[in-house]
Amino acid sequence: MTVITFYFSSLKNEILKLKHTFALWLTAICALLIPLLFFIVYTIKWEGLIPEDGVNPWNQYANEQIVNSLPALVPLFIVLITSLIIQIEHKATAIKHLFALPIPKSSVYFGKLSIIIATVFATYAMYYGLILLNGNLLGSMRPQLNFSEFSPEYVFHIKILFRSFISVLGILAIQFWLSFRFKNFIIPLGIGMVLVIIGLIAARAPESIYFPYSYSVISMNPLDEKTSDLSLFWWLPTVSIYSLIYFLVFSIAGFFDIKRINVK
Amino acid sequence: MSQLIVKTEKLNFSYSKSKKDIDSLDLEVPKGSIYGFLGPNGSGKTTTIRLLLGLLNKNSGNVKLFEKPFANNRIDTLSKIGALIENPSLYNHLSARQNLLIASNYRGNIKKDRIDEVLETVNLLRVKNKKVKTFSLGMKQRLGLAIALLSKPELLILDEPTNGLDPKGIIEMRELIKKLNKEDGITIFISSHLLSEIEKTCTHVGIIREGKMLFQDTVKALTTSQSDQLQIELETDDKHRTYDQLIQMGFEIKNIEHEEHLLSVSVKEKSQIPVLVDSLRKNDINIYQVMIKNNLEELFLNLTEN
Repeated sequence: MTVITFYFSSLKNEILKLKHTFALWLTAICALLIPLLFFIVYTIKWEGLIPEDGVNPWNQYANEQIVNSLPALVPLFIVLITSLIIQIEHKATAIKHLFALPIPKSSVYFGKLSIIIATVFATYAMYYGLILLNGNLLGSMRPQLNFSEFSPEYVFHIKILFRSFISVLGILAIQFWLSFRFKNFIIPLGIGMVLVIIGLIAARAPESIYFPYSYSVISMNPLDEKTSDLSLFWWLPTVSIYSLIYFLVFSIAGFFDIKRINVK
Repeated sequence: MSQLIVKTEKLNFSYSKSKKDIDSLDLEVPKGSIYGFLGPNGSGKTTTIRLLLGLLNKNSGNVKLFEKPFANNRIDTLSKIGALIENPSLYNHLSARQNLLIASNYRGNIKKDRIDEVLETVNLLRVKNKKVKTFSLGMKQRLGLAIALLSKPELLILDEPTNGLDPKGIIEMRELIKKLNKEDGITIFISSHLLSEIEKTCTHVGIIREGKMLFQDTVKALTTSQSDQLQIELETDDKHRTYDQLIQMGFEIKNIEHEEHLLSVSVKEKSQIPVLVDSLRKNDINIYQVMIKNNLEELFLNLTEN
């Protein structure tokens, strides 16, 4: 077997292990929460939300849910979901079993990392899917809101969601390494929560461009005022590049650390 | 000398700088043997097993499995090994079959019906679709064994396999181990803190204390080394007369202090026991019990308790 086949069988197993877990429910709940909230607000307070003539209602509706709500929530979600998914192994004391199997340790490590990235990606997809679905529902329930008259700016939405997604990959790799290393999930969770809060508070400081826990905010509210206009957003801002560098460094260095660790 | 499946030379390891957890350990497990790795709790049995499987990084020394250095042949070597280390690694939220499926996916070269086959071997076929969280400790232990057997290993490493099993389970496990060894020719390495366990199952034995190997040979050699003296314990209706009688016959006697009604006698061989009994009966001494003491037990305690 080659490294690639080992990697794919590892992926297959990771999917199997996710069955009936709380981690899976958490992704669904997180994806559902905010769209549901907005849906309720729009259904109840629709009269105050009727757009002026000729204004696309989708812009305000989607921007509030993506640009204003995601930055604070996604890092918290990453900290939680990463701990939860790796906790499946720690709870089963399975690291010792996995590392005594005739497979490369890299297939276990990167298989798991991949499945967490896929889970986060799926959450983003579900989130946007629900925003669109709810908007269309609102359009047919309250025609005055004009949702049916206009169509959403798909490319723009996908672009800002993509910026947000890339900007959290850095902390995903850091949290993944911490969660893998420490059996006790309070450690990665505690460290992660503290850093996320610092990241939110410090996000306006110019130095926060070096602090990955601020990237989720920076990706939606760029530090440079000139680029903070939504219409000027491009696919890969500096913060995304920095996030990718953090991701690469921590996932690779993390692997070499885990590879030579004493499994007790 | 037969081929050595496991061989370590001057193996050293410590978790912390202050204490050596494994101290210059030479382990030799011959092919086809059932090797009992015996030692009190905390003596380094599990640590040794983890070193063999590369889960811990040794400080110095060599580990050879299947006559090849482990470090250079990790995947190839592990593919011939099935291991159950301490408590089995099981996903409680999945069924027994799914747990086996995961192990078989990882290994990659296992036939579909092999899963039912090993479930049958460990007697869990009936509950294969039940979630593992509903299992008793003994069932989990057996499922762990099934996972270790999945790839038809040449070497089976079992760390305290009877932990948490009830007496019936222990006997079944013992028989299963013997059967796997005899019928499938699997070399089996078992660790245990119970001498009786090793004595009943194993062909070879290694005794470890504080990370050092104290004794390593066949179980037969261990028994013969102790057979020149046989300790028996006697309970009669009159301890003093018995004592006098035995002295007259020339036996070596010592009182057992904590159990006043018992006398302990050393005899050279079993055939002396009926002679002794006859002579006591002739003097109208009533005998309630005659018990051969397990010297191995004593040896083990002596070896490991100083």
